[in-house]
Amino acid sequence: MIIAGIDIGNATTETAVARVTNQENPEFLSSGIYNTSGIKGTRQNIHGIFASLKLALEKAHLTVEDVDLIRINEAAPVIGDVAMETITETIITESTMIGHNPSTPGGLGIGVGVTVEIRDIHSVEKGASIIVIIPREVDFEESSHIINVAVKNGIFINGAIVQRDDGVLINNRLDKKIPIVDEVSLIEKVPLNMRAAIEVAAPGSVVEELSNPYGIATVFDLTSDETKLVVPISRALIGNRSAVIIKTPAGDVKERKIPAGKIVIQGATKKAEINVDDGAEKIMEAIRSVAPVEDIKGEPGTNAGGMLEKVRQVMSNLTEQLPATIKIQDLLAVDTFVPQVVKGGMAEEFSMENAVGIAAMVKADRLQMNMIAEELERELGVKVEVGGVEANMAVHGALTTPGSNKPLAIIDMGAGSTDAAIINRAGEIKSIHLAGAGNMVTMLIGSELGFEDMSLAEDIKKYPLAKVESLFHIRHEDGTVQFFDKPLDPQIFARVVILTPNRMVPIPGNFSLERIKTVRREAKTKVFVVNAIRSLERVSPTGNCRDIEFVTLVGGSALDFEIPQLVTHALSQYSIVAGRANIRGVEGPRNAVATGLVLAYGEGE
Amino acid sequence: MRMDYDAPRPEIKVIHNKQMTCQKVIDEVLRGIEEEGLPYSVEQSEETNPVELAFRGAELSHLGVGIGITDNEVVLHFIKLKEDQPLFKIPTYSDESTLRAIGCNAARLVKRMPFKNLDNTELS
Repeated sequence: MIIAGIDIGNATTETAVARVTNQENPEFLSSGIYNTSGIKGTRQNIHGIFASLKLALEKAHLTVEDVDLIRINEAAPVIGDVAMETITETIITESTMIGHNPSTPGGLGIGVGVTVEIRDIHSVEKGASIIVIIPREVDFEESSHIINVAVKNGIFINGAIVQRDDGVLINNRLDKKIPIVDEVSLIEKVPLNMRAAIEVAAPGSVVEELSNPYGIATVFDLTSDETKLVVPISRALIGNRSAVIIKTPAGDVKERKIPAGKIVIQGATKKAEINVDDGAEKIMEAIRSVAPVEDIKGEPGTNAGGMLEKVRQVMSNLTEQLPATIKIQDLLAVDTFVPQVVKGGMAEEFSMENAVGIAAMVKADRLQMNMIAEELERELGVKVEVGGVEANMAVHGALTTPGSNKPLAIIDMGAGSTDAAIINRAGEIKSIHLAGAGNMVTMLIGSELGFEDMSLAEDIKKYPLAKVESLFHIRHEDGTVQFFDKPLDPQIFARVVILTPNRMVPIPGNFSLERIKTVRREAKTKVFVVNAIRSLERVSPTGNCRDIEFVTLVGGSALDFEIPQLVTHALSQYSIVAGRANIRGVEGPRNAVATGLVLAYGEGE
Repeated sequence: MRMDYDAPRPEIKVIHNKQMTCQKVIDEVLRGIEEEGLPYSVEQSEETNPVELAFRGAELSHLGVGIGITDNEVVLHFIKLKEDQPLFKIPTYSDESTLRAIGCNAARLVKRMPFKNLDNTELS
C-alpha cells in the first residue's frame, strides 16, 4: 500500500510518500515541501497540505487515487511570539547636537564660537568668534565670498554649519580653512546666538574632542556637575567623522532609564520576580531557578506587562481561547541594542539604546488536527489518521540519518520554537519545547540594524553577504572575489549586498559588511546556541548536557548556512557529537517528522 | 625602481560640445566632482553625440571615467563598459542638484562609493 506522511510545521508542510508491504521496511518513493498556509493547526492548512502532497505524488508518478493512507502529525500545540522593549532612551532638552556623518565634510580641526546666520554677518562686532550657519538659499560661491570678506574685516569665523552638500566646495574657496559640517537637513532648528563647537576629523579618523566628555567640558567651560550631563552627547558622537554641539543656557541632556517593569515567573513550586531592566541574563537565571514554569506574567501598567499581555492576546486570538487561560510556559530573553532617534537631535541622530528582546512560548489546548484530518478525508476520499506525537515522529525520522543510533537527541530548530527530544536505548522518548527560534533571530537582526522591513532582515539571516567592489566584481564575506561578464546594476555599486538566489539585494544605510555579519552571527548565537544548550539540559536524564552523546539538528533553521556550524562548535565544547541530520541519507534536515510518520505505521504506532 | 615619472595625472575627463550655450551646466557637473574631492580637466570637441564624447573622455582619462556634455544630454561613461552602453544619462535641462549628482557619481565611481540617486534616470 502507498502511505503519505504529512507534517504541518509553522513554516512549511512536508510530505513523505512510501510503499509499505507487509512487515518490511517501507520503500520511500518521494517527498514534497510547500509553504504552510495559515497558522499551524487551523483549517487554512489544508491548501498547503494539498500542494505539498501533490508535489510529492507527481515526483513518484502517482495520483491521489493511488494513496491508501495519509498520516498527519499530532502537532505540538506550541506557538511562539516575539517582542522587543527598549529599556533606556536619550533625551536632549534645550541643548542640541549634530553628530552625523556627511560623506564629505569640509576642512579640518575644531572650532568654537557663537552661531550666526551668514546673512546677518554684518551685525557682528569685530574680533568676535563665530560659527556661521549657511541655509540652502545661500550657495557656496556667495557664502565663501562672505566668509572671506568677514575674516578680512577681523571677525573670527571658526566653523560653518551648512544645509547643502557644499562643504568641500566652500572650503576650497576659503583663504583661511575652517571645519565645515554639511548636509544638515534641519538647519532651521539650529539655535542662533548660542555657543557652539564644531569638529571635523581628517579622512580615516573620528572626532576626538567632542566625543570625550572632558573635551566638551574644556570647550564650554563646564563644571563637574555639568560634565556628567553631557556624557550621553559624547557617547552618541563616538565614531563620527564630524560633530557639532550647541549649548543653550538651560541645556540638559540625560539618559533616562525607562521603567520597564517586573515580570513574575510562576513555577510549579517556586515563584520569582525580576526586573526587566536587569537584563536578559538575570531573567534567564530566574527562569532556570523556578523551572518548570507554569506561567509568566508582567507587572500591569508597565512595558513588561504590556509586552507579555500582547503575546497572550495574539495567542488567544489564534487558539480561540480566553486570554486568561493562555499560559506562557517558556521565555527567552536576549540583550540587544536598538537604534533610537535621539529626542532633541538636529540631523536625526541615532543613539544605540539597550533593549531586551523576548520570545514567549504558549502551550495551547490540542490543536484542531482531528478537524483537519476529517476535512481532508472528506475532500480527498482517502483515509486520514492523526499519527503520533510530533517529537516522537521526529526522533524516528532522525534515526534514519546515516551514522546515528540510540540514544540520540534531536534539536528541532524551527521558526517559532526550538524543540528537543531524546530517545534512550529502550526506545523511551522525552521531549520539551522552548521559546525562541528563527523568527526571533530575524527580529534581533532587524531591530539592531534599525530596519522596519522584516523581509530584509529575513534575507540577511538566510543568505551570505558580499561587497560590490566594481561594476564587474564582488568580494564575498570570506574574501573570495567573483567576476561577472556583464556590468552589475549601478544601484548596487559599492554597496553591501545580500546574495539571495534570485538577485543581489542592496542593504540600505552605511553599514559595513563586517558589522552586518557580526550582528547576524550574534543574533544566531544568542538564540540557537543558547537554546540548544538549554534544551539539552532539560531533556538530559541527568540534567547535564554532557551526558548526551549524539545530537542531530533538524528543522528549517538547520538548513541555514551557519547555524549548524555555530551549534556544532558550541556543543563540541561539551564533547557532544552534534551535526545536521540527513534524513534517509537524502533529505538533509528536512522531512524528519513526515518520514517518522510513515515509519511509525510500520511499527504499529 | 620607479620608471614612469611622466604618468598622467589621475583625473576625470569632461568633454563638451564646442557649440554648448549653457556654461552653467558644465560648472554644476564640475562642482559635483570637486565636492567629492577629485581632480578633473575639461576639453571641447566638434562631436555632437554625448555618448561618443563621454566615451572619448573615458579613453583619455587616466581613471577611465569620462563625462560628455551637449545641449541635449549629460552622459557618464566608464572605460570598461561597452561604448554604446554608458553608465548614466540625464537630460541637460535637469535641475542643478541632479547635474551636480552626476558629477558626484563620476567621482564616486573612482572612490567606490554608492552612487547618488539620479531620480530613476539610470539606464538599465
